[in-house]
Amino acid sequence: MDNPTAPKTNAQTDAISDVSAWVLRAGVILSSLVMLIGIIVTFAHGNISVARITTDGCDYRPDIIWNGILRGEGKRIIEAGIYLLLFTPIMRVFASSILFAFQERDRLYTAITLVVLILTLAGLLWIG
Amino acid sequence: MTEASQSILWLSEVAGASFVAGVVGSISGLGGGIVIVPVLTILMHVPIERAIGASIVSVIAVSSGAGSVYVKDKITNVRIAMFLELFTAAGALLGAGYLSRHINPESLYILFGLMLLVSLIPIFARLGQELPDGIQNDRIASSLRLNGSYFDKRLGREIQYNVTGIPAAIGIMFAAGIISGILGIGAGVVKVLAHEVAMKVPTKVSTATSNFMIGVTAAAGAGVYLRRGLVLPFLVVPVAIFVLVGAFLGTRIMERLSNSLLRKIFALLLAIVGIQMLIRGLGGKY
Repeated sequence: MDNPTAPKTNAQTDAISDVSAWVLRAGVILSSLVMLIGIIVTFAHGNISVARITTDGCDYRPDIIWNGILRGEGKRIIEAGIYLLLFTPIMRVFASSILFAFQERDRLYTAITLVVLILTLAGLLWIG
Repeated sequence: MTEASQSILWLSEVAGASFVAGVVGSISGLGGGIVIVPVLTILMHVPIERAIGASIVSVIAVSSGAGSVYVKDKITNVRIAMFLELFTAAGALLGAGYLSRHINPESLYILFGLMLLVSLIPIFARLGQELPDGIQNDRIASSLRLNGSYFDKRLGREIQYNVTGIPAAIGIMFAAGIISGILGIGAGVVKVLAHEVAMKVPTKVSTATSNFMIGVTAAAGAGVYLRRGLVLPFLVVPVAIFVLVGAFLGTRIMERLSNSLLRKIFALLLAIVGIQMLIRGLGGKY
């Protein structure tokens, strides 16, 4: 490294910023659209009461969600949208680890982002 | 009124509150639970665990939606975020996977509330300051190249800044992760504090970088709520979509505020969250 005290711009991480911004935007737009379709399908099939809105929980198992989507169930479509949203920040971390590894060739930050990725996936999918 | 119009009216009220939460959350870097949880519990009579389940999803939406703007506009310090996410994620797993079985949430809420109220003191000490002055990079910050710059739309110029206090920030972020893991909250307020008080970066960089980080912490914590059936799909739709709309508006406002006004807004919200956590610790359900 050259002079560490000299103020540097963020130029070196510009590509990572741009890709992160794109992944985040794509994730929120896609997940919102899927959730919107899900709620429209739900109400098209009949009303749901306020009592049901405040008690009916998500099913997290992918096979149940997938089979429900194939049957055109609004609730399962919404759950798929929620999963897309939950995976949005994780995809952002994944994309940056790829860029740190192959574009910036920065081993330290590749390692950091990979560990964050593993810890986050562990929390979302298994632990607790 | 028919049952259908009742449900739609109810969901519209949730949507309105979520819009406000999105604006507040994206401006302050706190995510939005600060508005969503009390509105859902007090006004809409949703049980607190399910309100927190909805708020976790909203935090991810705000973090991603507002994040896409702040990152593109280069206000977020991506390197600081990536480095510190390591400690929040590790803390969150330790909290959710192990400590949550051994720590009483009520006492943690009280401890957390008191901690937040005490941390108002260093915030007040430089409440009116626009930009940090005379900060030198510490050793870790220079070897990880954490210092940066952003274009301040209000001041109309590029602001260069250095970063200090990384060891303290690491400790605070680890604690923030533990708190998120046990209590199921994004703990955005602790992340802004670490940026503001320990690392002394400009406030806009604090809130944008904290905003960027909370989505990852919340995603790690969301699993617990999903598996316990505490994420309600029909409730989450208006929450997620309308916090997003609010978040996009909030980014436009935040970039035009002065750093000192932003810090005052943060101080106010810090006090509110501190009191909110104390109330929860004393058995209040919101």
